Amino acid sequence: MTGSFPIAELEPIAIPDVIPKTAMMTAATDSALIAAALNGAEAAFRELFRRHTPYLLQFVSRVLGASRADAEDVVQDTWLRAYPALVTFRSDSSFSTWLCSVGLRAALDSMRRGKRHTADTLFDDDYHVQPPATEERMDLETAIARLAPGYRMVLVLHDVQGFTHEEIGAQLGIAPGTSKAQLFKARRVMRALLTGREKHDVQ
Amino acid sequence: MYNDDEELTVSEIEALAALPRELPPGDLLEERVVRELRREGHFTSGRSRARLNSAWRIAAAVALFTGGVATGRYLMTPGAPRDATVVPVELRESTATQVNRSGSLVAVREMWL
Repeated sequence: MTGSFPIAELEPIAIPDVIPKTAMMTAATDSALIAAALNGAEAAFRELFRRHTPYLLQFVSRVLGASRADAEDVVQDTWLRAYPALVTFRSDSSFSTWLCSVGLRAALDSMRRGKRHTADTLFDDDYHVQPPATEERMDLETAIARLAPGYRMVLVLHDVQGFTHEEIGAQLGIAPGTSKAQLFKARRVMRALLTGREKHDVQ
Repeated sequence: MYNDDEELTVSEIEALAALPRELPPGDLLEERVVRELRREGHFTSGRSRARLNSAWRIAAAVALFTGGVATGRYLMTPGAPRDATVVPVELRESTATQVNRSGSLVAVREMWL
């Protein structure tokens, strides 16, 4: 028996006065948006940008440990690199993961340009962390930002993003063993920063 | 709470998992990126596309007009092939015939002269 649906009992739908930016997002898949963007559809690219930039910006910002303005510059560079490379994207992997790998390379280049790091110096042990004042405790985000670049990158990729040492090695061009050693040291320094231990523990 | 072993403690894992995963970009970032991509010629704005379409239409119209004028001149030249001059000659003949047929018009003209 079908019966009549009690229309009168339906809750009225609240229509907001101003449509938020997120409401403009369509149900189109990333693959469909990528195909349209490659055909020159600016609207599709904007949709892709709005969908993935908040995640990318947080990732890049954490990897760089830099100001928001610097992170946004790297995000811009990431999209400028990613757009012509969209043809190489295979939908068997997540688009945000692919985009973050492009972002990581852009962040590495930015760090090398800014601080004159080479691939080796990013991961050497001569870099000293700026220690906090004695007994100063800091939140986790600040502690990560204060780590040496090599430590920070490996810790973010492994402990925050969930990459394996093999994947990190492939992304950063280092041996998996190096990644493991960097992570060990990164965690030790991070703990020292979080508990506000003595200066010598941090270096 | 913290240990110096390689492995993370439960509270550390929870703290890392609780870190925010997204950071909203500034309002200008999207425009900056789109402007740069436009400048590199990856996509054009709607206005640019409309301007390009208009230019193509004007160019096509000019080409059609010029082609028509050139063809007409060619057909009117004395050295043009016979086949090509058939149409205008026939046109002239038919016009003349028409004038002869309308003899009243010629008669009226001669009367006034």
